[in-house]
Amino acid sequence: MIKFNKIKKIYHMGTQSLEALSGVSLQIAAGEFVTVMGPSGSGKSTLMNIIGCLDTPTDGEYFLEGKNVAGLTFDQLASIRNKMMGFVFQNFNLLPYATAWENIELPMLFNGKNARNRKERITELLNEVGLLKWKEHRPSELSGGQQQRIALARALANDPPIILADAPTGNLDSKSGVEIIELLSRLWKKGHTIIMVTHDDRLASHSQRIIHLFDGREAD
Amino acid sequence: MNLTLLRFFSNEFRKRRKKAALITFALFWGSLSILLLLAFGQGMSAQFRISFSGLGQDLIMISGGQTSKLYQGLPKGRRIRLYPDDIQYLKERIPEISLIAPESYNNWPVSANRKEINRTIHGTTAEFAHMRTQIPQMGGRFLNTADVKNGRKVAFIGWKVGTDLFGTENPVGQKIVINRIPFTVIGVLKKKLQDSMYQGPDADQIYLPYSAFTQIDSQLHIDRIHIQPRETKLSPLIEERVETLLGKKNRFDPTDRYALSIWNTIENAKEAGAIFKGIEVFLGIMGALTLLIGAVGVTNLMYAIIRERKQEIGIKMALGAKRRVIIQQFILETLFIFLKGTFWGLVTAFNIIHLVRLVPINYDGFGIEGYLLRPVFSFETFIIFLVIVGTLVFISGIFPAVRASRLNPIDSLRYE
Ligand SMILES: Nc1ncnc2c1ncn2[C@@H]1O[C@H](COP(=O)(O)OP(=O)(O)OP(=O)(O)O)[C@@H](O)[C@H]1O
Ligand SMILES: [Mg+2]
Repeated sequence: MIKFNKIKKIYHMGTQSLEALSGVSLQIAAGEFVTVMGPSGSGKSTLMNIIGCLDTPTDGEYFLEGKNVAGLTFDQLASIRNKMMGFVFQNFNLLPYATAWENIELPMLFNGKNARNRKERITELLNEVGLLKWKEHRPSELSGGQQQRIALARALANDPPIILADAPTGNLDSKSGVEIIELLSRLWKKGHTIIMVTHDDRLASHSQRIIHLFDGREAD
Repeated sequence: MNLTLLRFFSNEFRKRRKKAALITFALFWGSLSILLLLAFGQGMSAQFRISFSGLGQDLIMISGGQTSKLYQGLPKGRRIRLYPDDIQYLKERIPEISLIAPESYNNWPVSANRKEINRTIHGTTAEFAHMRTQIPQMGGRFLNTADVKNGRKVAFIGWKVGTDLFGTENPVGQKIVINRIPFTVIGVLKKKLQDSMYQGPDADQIYLPYSAFTQIDSQLHIDRIHIQPRETKLSPLIEERVETLLGKKNRFDPTDRYALSIWNTIENAKEAGAIFKGIEVFLGIMGALTLLIGAVGVTNLMYAIIRERKQEIGIKMALGAKRRVIIQQFILETLFIFLKGTFWGLVTAFNIIHLVRLVPINYDGFGIEGYLLRPVFSFETFIIFLVIVGTLVFISGIFPAVRASRLNPIDSLRYE
């Protein structure tokens, strides 16, 4: 499903340049649960962002379902993010002025789902993460664990095949962290492809495979 | 666009509208000045048109002159006069003429109520009323054809003549004596603006049936012929034919520019109309520039909003927002901000214009206030205003909107 061929990412800052990824080649099959691990600054987030089509590689090829992603327009990439990717971030990234309900609704608004289908889906998702009672609350009125569960519900809004979770438990206490991992495992069992970044070996043990990154390279 | 998305946008906007207060005021001020300038400009040209037609509408006025060319052995410098039978003569030969009337005048003492004043007394016919906007006040009338045919001793007087002789009394039905012959007042001229004249304003004139005028005044010729063409565009043609016909009849060279003196208000009005249109456009541009200051403020605000919302824009992009959605949101916010300011500008301008129009105009001392006190809030003004505001919304919103839509989602998300 995901195929990287010598992916490089170079950041330029003034005269200096920094190689965040230096030729990573990997494959992730549909339905896998993969954990990405590595020290801080090793390029984990960079890798995730490229997989999620939030960022583009400096060099190398990225095939998503056999199609080269290079050369797609902004709107085509937006459509891929909307339909194929569900993002969960370390800092939640919920919209502060929107309620839990509205946050989950947004990805569906971007793909033109009708009102009745939206309502059904949001209710279903809120039930799944156990927060139906909290639907009218804004992020600032929710705990970190609750916010991350809303973020996960939002990631699932359009039922994307791939879930990208970049350190989803990084800002959570261990109990909330475990809840999130359990939700992710459930999704994996339902057939979603899960790609997760974590520093925690115990959480990584839920996954099938671990990719170790070191200084922008795959370490074995 | 989706209604839910619209509600979403408006919620996000409402959280920050306080920032827009100063700019809302600038927009209010700008739209107020644009509307007032347009309304006063339009009012001025409208008042000008009214006062121009105070003399008469679509009028050709002909009076005698002095020859400057030889004609069939006759010398230069001869005085050319017009005669009462010229009226019938021209009317029969120029079908393009809609109305034609003679006018003769002289100064005579007028007395009534044991008061005596000197005024210009005119002799004319019923058609004169239509050509020279002689509209009677309620309860009176202008001279009619029967008055003229029968030489009735009746008079139509300017409103100032009325107050000079009768004070606050109603002059209609009263007797006035002109050159020792008594006349009955049948009508008083309604007040009007008049900016061009040849014997003083119509407010000071007295009109008699031509046939009655010849009984107090022994003058054989007439001083002026008034002609109204069937269509305004026929006026040059009529001028030319009058010169040819009267040249033959009263013996002068029709190409002699000085034999007749012709005053064509149609051509004059065209020129003056263009000048006033120019003033209107100028005032409109001044107003638009004032509003432009507000628009620049809006653009600045929108750029500031982008910085502030970088993360939110990044989140929306991560969730799959296309460029169009981001642009729409920024344009809509620009529109909201504009609507608020300009709406109150519109309401305020409307009320000011309405109040100013209530101030009465003094028709006796003819002053600038006649032009200033009748601003017009027309549909046209409103449409021009909408077009200007719409254009400004677009140009002040589109650049920030496009900038926001071109943000890199990853850079926006890294923003803390
Ligand atoms: N937009 C950017 N501009 C410049 N440098 C960047 C940018 N994004 C990442 N980097 C740099 O690239 C390297 C890899 O960053 P990345 O965020 O992928 O690391 P990470 O493995 O996710 O680290 P962490 O565990 O701390 O989240 C780092 O040295 C980082 O400073
Ligand atoms: Mg990271």
